[in-house]
Amino acid sequence: MNPILDVRNVSKSFTLHNIDGRNVTALDNVSFAVAPGEHVALAGMSGAGKSTLLRVLYRTYTAASGSIDLTLSSGGVVDLTKLSDREVVALRGRELGYVSQFLRAQPRRAVIDLVARAGVSRGMSRDEAREAAAISLQRLNIAESLWDMHTAVLSGGEKQRVNIAAGLISPPRILLLDEPVSALDPENRERAIDLIADLSTAGVAVLAVFHDLDAIARLASRVIRMARGSIVEDGPTADILPHLQPAEVQV
Amino acid sequence: MSTAEMSMADMTSLAAIRVAEPVVRVRNLGKVYGPFDEGSLARTGPGVGTARDSRTGSIVAAWNVNFDVAAGEALGIVGESGSGKSTVLRCIAGDQAATTGDVRFQCHDDGASNILDLDPATRRRLRVDKVSVVYQDAAEGLALGVTAGGNIADPLTAAGWRNFGRIRERAAELLARTEVPLDRMDDIVRNFSGGMRQRVQIARALANNPPILLLDEPTTGLDASVAAGVLDLIRRLLEELDLAVVVVSHDFAVIEMLTQRCIVMQHGRVVEDALTDQLLEDPQHPYSQKLVAAARA
Amino acid sequence: MTSIAELTGPPQATPFALLDEESKREIRRALLQAVATPGYQVPFGSREMPVARGWGSGGLQISLAIVGRHDVVKVIDQGDDEGVNAVNLRRLISSSTNTEETTEVNEATIVQSRHRIPEDAMEEDHILVLQVPVPEPLRGVERDMKELARMHAEADYSKMWVSLYEDKVRNGVITQTTGYPCLVAGRYVTATTPIPRWDIPRLHQSEFLTLFGAGREKRVYAIPPHTDVEPLTFDDVPFEVESADGASCRLCGSNESFLVESPGDTPTWACSDTAFCRRRRTK
Repeated sequence: MNPILDVRNVSKSFTLHNIDGRNVTALDNVSFAVAPGEHVALAGMSGAGKSTLLRVLYRTYTAASGSIDLTLSSGGVVDLTKLSDREVVALRGRELGYVSQFLRAQPRRAVIDLVARAGVSRGMSRDEAREAAAISLQRLNIAESLWDMHTAVLSGGEKQRVNIAAGLISPPRILLLDEPVSALDPENRERAIDLIADLSTAGVAVLAVFHDLDAIARLASRVIRMARGSIVEDGPTADILPHLQPAEVQV
Repeated sequence: MSTAEMSMADMTSLAAIRVAEPVVRVRNLGKVYGPFDEGSLARTGPGVGTARDSRTGSIVAAWNVNFDVAAGEALGIVGESGSGKSTVLRCIAGDQAATTGDVRFQCHDDGASNILDLDPATRRRLRVDKVSVVYQDAAEGLALGVTAGGNIADPLTAAGWRNFGRIRERAAELLARTEVPLDRMDDIVRNFSGGMRQRVQIARALANNPPILLLDEPTTGLDASVAAGVLDLIRRLLEELDLAVVVVSHDFAVIEMLTQRCIVMQHGRVVEDALTDQLLEDPQHPYSQKLVAAARA
Repeated sequence: MTSIAELTGPPQATPFALLDEESKREIRRALLQAVATPGYQVPFGSREMPVARGWGSGGLQISLAIVGRHDVVKVIDQGDDEGVNAVNLRRLISSSTNTEETTEVNEATIVQSRHRIPEDAMEEDHILVLQVPVPEPLRGVERDMKELARMHAEADYSKMWVSLYEDKVRNGVITQTTGYPCLVAGRYVTATTPIPRWDIPRLHQSEFLTLFGAGREKRVYAIPPHTDVEPLTFDDVPFEVESADGASCRLCGSNESFLVESPGDTPTWACSDTAFCRRRRTK
């Protein structure tokens, strides 16, 4: 079966024009593929390039070189690095989802509104999205009294759960998760991990950045280990997990 | 049939991502004040550091601006004063005559003719129910001596509404939508605060359900909390209505909140165009990097 | 060199109807243009008249341009043939043309008026000439000349509609009394100054031709016979004419004519159209 995501020789560097024009390499010749329904964990120390990789895949960062082939639900394949901005906007949400580490933008949006918007962006009607948002928030144990509050007043853990709720609502065929459970207390962390595990059962491919050994062990069938912008190891979880250093699995 | 069995042509069509037809299509838009020769372009722009041609004294306020906007999309135009961003908006709105360019609206002649070639009267008519503008200064978009309801009655009557009761109903509905207290409907706009004036401007702009909305620094000059309220309103309206929107702002918070894509202008030229999140997190052009860094500080 | 004495000799014989032929033709051309574009204000070269500006010089120029030897002229001011102004104008016209004067509508061919249309019906042989102080219906909402021209050219009357809306909101009704704006032939908004609302329905699909003259503003306009004249109002705000609450004329008893208040301790009413009233009394 064709991979849902096929990353080949992707490099990313930043040219800091306003400092001294220096070039900082963040990703160096990264190649890997994700099968449909596969849950792949990205592991490595801070600064290894994991979040950068997710952002490049989502097109928030522009790759300097390489190709990123995404298989659409229609069966066709597109190279994300070659798409126009308008095509990327059309594709995000429906074909490719991203749950960021932070809830930064739009602090004055109501919780349920934020989650419902994710549903709308995936093609749901406003009413469907609102219903689905309610269900999603319940599953993540967000009290109904918080639903109409602005996201800005939530705690870090609550924000993270709202983020996950938005990510899980009518998920696209591949979801990129950036440290989805790092700020959660044990009980909510358990819940979240169960829900993310359900994604694999539902056939959603997941590429997730985790610093959490236990989460990786429970969720991922495969681990890609990164260091200094490159992939150093790529294999089944059981093989890679023992190699991970403490520094790589600290939050 | 599996993908292995498909022909190349089938694969190509499957790989096409359906992108909606643009409602607004802008190509090669340019505006120059004063005499203009070939050298003027070379003597102006970001590379030179000015929009003013030192030899002829002319100002290349905007040049070679291109973009598309579809229904349900909002495009931002970012830049500092003098970047040309407002000039671009005004040329599309018809407030200024462009020097050159090909601008098409799907709602006019199905996008088959360049609206810049239209006679002024026809362009003015587009402003009744095809293109609306919300200005930074409410005095430009409203008659200050007229009531809030009256300012909304204006585009309605221009569109042929002749029933007083229905005009008032529609005005009340729009004011409610823009969160202006109903008991102020018959107050003259001069007596409204800045934030309220902007809300009335927005209500008026939406009166005839135009497909295109242009916003020129809609919250600049308002107090922070007032601006936040107006921005939230605009964001909500953009999400509910299927408008093609262009937002001009120097404020990245506005661009981030309202738009999915944007272009950055400097000294009259477009220096970068990107997805909004991409511009904010991975700006490529040195000027964009400077702007974003300053905004983040 | 020409001497002052030569320039101050006795004037040439007064031409027929005071104006020289070229002047009359220029005014007639303007009038023809006006009739061809109902409601549109046509500029004309308004001349100095032996009547000051503001006293009917425009209407006078129209009458002088169209009057012929066999015309019969009636002039009224506020409905009254005997008002000083009306008398003055009538004498000016008849003395320079030797035409007949009358106070009776059915004998007249030209009726010049300020402020009223006569109560008696006028037919296709009548021409009504109205004296207009302000020909521009949009003057209350716009001052700029170029913008006014554009508004009429593009039939962009939204400012007018907004002012009607504001009027109704402020006052509960549309309060304009004289000079009520009307849409003529579905195209131009026209000032019906200075006739009262009462008389406006008589302009709609009339048998007679109405010509409007503004001497100071140098404009003429026309409402030809059988032309639609619709007072601007909202669909659900009916156009109302003045009413005197069931009063009737103290002289002839009419309650179907336009009444004006008679001065005195107790309010009484009398017909504005004196000729009409007198005829009713002597019938």
